[in-house]
Amino acid sequence: MPIRIGESSSSLQERVEEACSVDLSQCYECGKCSGGCSTTHLMDYTPRKIIQLIKLGYCDILYNSDALWLCVGCHLCVDRCPAQIDIPRIVDYLREQAYQQGIKPTREQVVTFNALMLGSVFKRGRVSEATLMLQFNLRTRRYFKDAQLGTKMLVKGKVNPFVPGVKGTRELRRLFRGKPAGKER
Amino acid sequence: MSRTGKKALIVGAGPAGIEAALKIGRAGYEVMLVEKETTPGGYLNKLCSTFPRWEDPQNLLQVKLEQLRAIPDIKLLTGSSVVSARRTERGFFVELAGDSSTRDTGIEVAAVVLATGFDYYDVRRYGEYGYGVYPGVMSAPEFEARLKEWKNEPEQIEPPGAVAFIKCVGSRDRAKGYPYCSSICCMYTAKQAALVKEIFPRTACYVFYMDVRAAGSGYEEFVRSTIEDKRVRYVRGRPAKVLPEGGRLQIRVEDTLMGTPVEIEVDMVVLAGAVVPREETVRLAGLFEAHIDRYGFLASEPGQPVQAGERVFFAGGCGFPVSIKGAQEQGAAAAAEVIALFNQPG
Repeated sequence: MPIRIGESSSSLQERVEEACSVDLSQCYECGKCSGGCSTTHLMDYTPRKIIQLIKLGYCDILYNSDALWLCVGCHLCVDRCPAQIDIPRIVDYLREQAYQQGIKPTREQVVTFNALMLGSVFKRGRVSEATLMLQFNLRTRRYFKDAQLGTKMLVKGKVNPFVPGVKGTRELRRLFRGKPAGKER
Repeated sequence: MSRTGKKALIVGAGPAGIEAALKIGRAGYEVMLVEKETTPGGYLNKLCSTFPRWEDPQNLLQVKLEQLRAIPDIKLLTGSSVVSARRTERGFFVELAGDSSTRDTGIEVAAVVLATGFDYYDVRRYGEYGYGVYPGVMSAPEFEARLKEWKNEPEQIEPPGAVAFIKCVGSRDRAKGYPYCSSICCMYTAKQAALVKEIFPRTACYVFYMDVRAAGSGYEEFVRSTIEDKRVRYVRGRPAKVLPEGGRLQIRVEDTLMGTPVEIEVDMVVLAGAVVPREETVRLAGLFEAHIDRYGFLASEPGQPVQAGERVFFAGGCGFPVSIKGAQEQGAAAAAEVIALFNQPG
């Protein structure tokens, strides 16, 4: 199936550029982002291809792509990029768009994790890794996944199950505009 | 001997400066050719061969130096540099230093040709390529010196299993380098890779490229011959990382034709550093009131491709990356300007 390009194709690029403060016309198309990417071997579309798909205006492929949910936001791509294009920010934006449009993510767990993590921030102002991992494993029904490693880390003091909350909870919640994460819709 | 007593100062005795000196000298004017190094020739002294014609750089240089010596009006001053310059009614009053015989002596010149050459980009700034960390990673000029050794005594050397060439290091890079295309790197890299295959046919060579820019007479044919006859592998993609792997070096890159991450193991990595302006050029531009561009290359006046100011001309890599032949052409053009200026009465 050929990708059809029309006048409206550029509107996605414009939207991304505006929302993410990037200039995709600066892309050299060199692929240094993808060569550096820490999860590229798992992705269906490499970071360079994501940029190209935006230029082609192909929302459907992008919003339904696996790569969107595999990006761990390590920033190696933007660190390598000779045009300093903030690809993690773009991926975040695409995720938001896909999520808002109710498109089912290929990796539901990423969304679950995100909601749990932000929920923890909403409640206590910080993340308690032990609690978060426990919650995440329970929610995804992988009850014994980190049992061994978790115990070891607990013993060695690498994770603390009793993380105190922060003081300015009210100010912090204002950042969420009064609603916990995942309830914006 | 000279008809008018008008004298031209040429700064830099590389291919561009030598060519300008020869032409002005042959026209019957006095030339002071100043070179800061102890020997003339510039990068010709460091090269193993040339593109696209595989000339011997030393041979090229010796022919020119012989021609220089045959013209008594040309005075070559090595180990010297310009310390000051003051504009006068008919040119510049210039002070030179370095060589003991001319210390603190000033000369009056009616025109200046700046041919101060270029530097290579400091590839250390690309931490991801590991220059200075892994011994197998070297800059292109360093590799050129290695090629010279290999060419002279190939039987003394254990051939490397594989060599990778990374282009656009410091050029076409807004983040760490310069946005411009450094113009000669595609060609010198093809030359270096082909030389490796010439000396050690069993050594695998990979050239990583974004584009292959071979716009010049015989250039495309030169690159094609590197690929087709010498069997150098061209991989499209800009490497992201060089890592040590089992005593060798692993290159991580996306093959942008396939859109697939690729890992290639080699023994040596050559970083094709961009041609960058010299601080010395910027200093001299200040002394002689010459235009420079935003990078520090000498800049021409509109319609005057080799003129950077009143009575100030330039040639070669101090203006922008250029081949040896191009530098010679510009040297000849700058000489034509000087001769035309000197031929005017008064």
